[in-house]
Amino acid sequence: MSANPIVVVDKISKTFPSADGRGSHLALDEVSLTIEPGQVLVIIGPSGSGKSTLLRTLNALEKFDTGNIVVNGVALADKRTDLNRMRAEIGMVFQHFNLFQHKTALENVVLPQVVVRGRPRSEALVRARDLLEKVGIADRANHYPSQLSGGQQQRVAIARALAMDPKIMLFDEATSALDPEMVGGILDLMRKLARDGMTMAVVTHEMGFAREVADRIIFMDQGRIVEEGEPGSFFASPSHERTRAFLDQIL
Amino acid sequence: MLERYWAITVSLFPFLWKGFIETLYISLVAIVVGSLIGFFIGVVRSQRVPVLNGLFGLYIHTLRGTPFLVQLYLFYFVLPNSGISWLSWDSITAAFVALSVYTSSYVAEIVKAAIEAVPRGQSEAATALGMTRLERLWYVVLPQALKLTVPPMSGVYVMIIKSTAILSVIGISELTRQGEISILRFPRDVLFIYGLIAAMYFVYCYPVLRFARWAERRVGAARIVDLD
Ligand SMILES: Nc1ncnc2c1ncn2[C@@H]1O[C@H](COP(=O)(O)OP(=O)(O)O)[C@@H](O)[C@H]1O
Ligand SMILES: [Mg+2]
Repeated sequence: MSANPIVVVDKISKTFPSADGRGSHLALDEVSLTIEPGQVLVIIGPSGSGKSTLLRTLNALEKFDTGNIVVNGVALADKRTDLNRMRAEIGMVFQHFNLFQHKTALENVVLPQVVVRGRPRSEALVRARDLLEKVGIADRANHYPSQLSGGQQQRVAIARALAMDPKIMLFDEATSALDPEMVGGILDLMRKLARDGMTMAVVTHEMGFAREVADRIIFMDQGRIVEEGEPGSFFASPSHERTRAFLDQIL
Repeated sequence: MLERYWAITVSLFPFLWKGFIETLYISLVAIVVGSLIGFFIGVVRSQRVPVLNGLFGLYIHTLRGTPFLVQLYLFYFVLPNSGISWLSWDSITAAFVALSVYTSSYVAEIVKAAIEAVPRGQSEAATALGMTRLERLWYVVLPQALKLTVPPMSGVYVMIIKSTAILSVIGISELTRQGEISILRFPRDVLFIYGLIAAMYFVYCYPVLRFARWAERRVGAARIVDLD
């Protein structure tokens, strides 16, 4: 493995104020991990275990209380870090797609290139068309998100993220909101990305995908990493009771 | 009888028309200026800028929690007594300022609410792509929020147009004031003259309301298709 991990998470903890307003809830409890360039890290765990929160701290959508994260050599806890600049290097795909509702599929992919990367519009258009082709939705380029199915929207969202030429892609349950017949297509796209060498952190409940694509799997429970390993041993012989219980339930 | 009403209408019309134009003029200025100020305040408030937020909150709640008539008196009678010369306004300036400020307090709340009604995921996606706060606002949130403001904004505009009637108390020769003077000439026809005035307000306000209905349907139409 490379000596220069692209992501280093060092003992981060995060609390949310609890729902009743008094007290607080520990969403991340001294979590540490590293991701090497080209690696696919899959994060699994029960609902509420902190998977999304962990993923969202990687691009500073969520702040953390203690610890540090270094992404692409940039320390997130450092006050001088330009977080917007840092985020442009990290692609994120959401469970609910979050396409810009007032823009067509094509313009969704063009906008961030022009605004954030400062690309000339003509160049951004060429790149956008190319990417929409690649994710298999070129024929819907001029449709608005409201005119697209969930699976189609997620394809556009992936194209939008890729248009920024990210160094790493984060997927937060990218297939959980899709109709079952749409899931396979999106997982195929993610598989292809992984094969092309993209560094990825993937939160998912698709164990088949995890087993096949992951270089490493992390199991989280109650804000902690309970177990981690490469997929073969992870699925064959999980060493913790909670991992076993979770896998029994989901498989 | 009908002839008599026709004669009154003909003889009063030029006079009332002058008032109508004045009403049109004042309300349009107040709407444009008030909307610009209100838009700015609404955007700032939606961004939770530390000190400004509290200041603008006070501004809005003071204006919305007091009668317009009292505000108008304040601008016209009280400020000139402060002894500061540039605050000694004539009635038309006081009218413009009072009505614009009043308009802005409503517009600000509409704009703020519209910005907050744009789903969080929209600005979150923009953030994740590396956009700055201003870029998110300008390219993603505001275009979507502005659409949402059209129906409530039309309601405020109609209310503002009708509020210009109050300006008659400081001697602005707008429609209501012209009507009151007309009544001195034809005291027996109070009901008819007020009817005439009401009709003229209606001719102005109704298209605005129709426009709001039309715009509301158009804004809605862009969102109904869902193939999921
Ligand atoms: N914005 C928030 N405010 C308060 N609590 C939150 C917030 N986001 C997440 N949490 C809490 O943090 C914990 C972890 O949430 P999350 O990371 O979304 O879990 P997962 O993605 O694994 O389902 C949960 O208990 C959740 O209720
Ligand atoms: Mg989650």
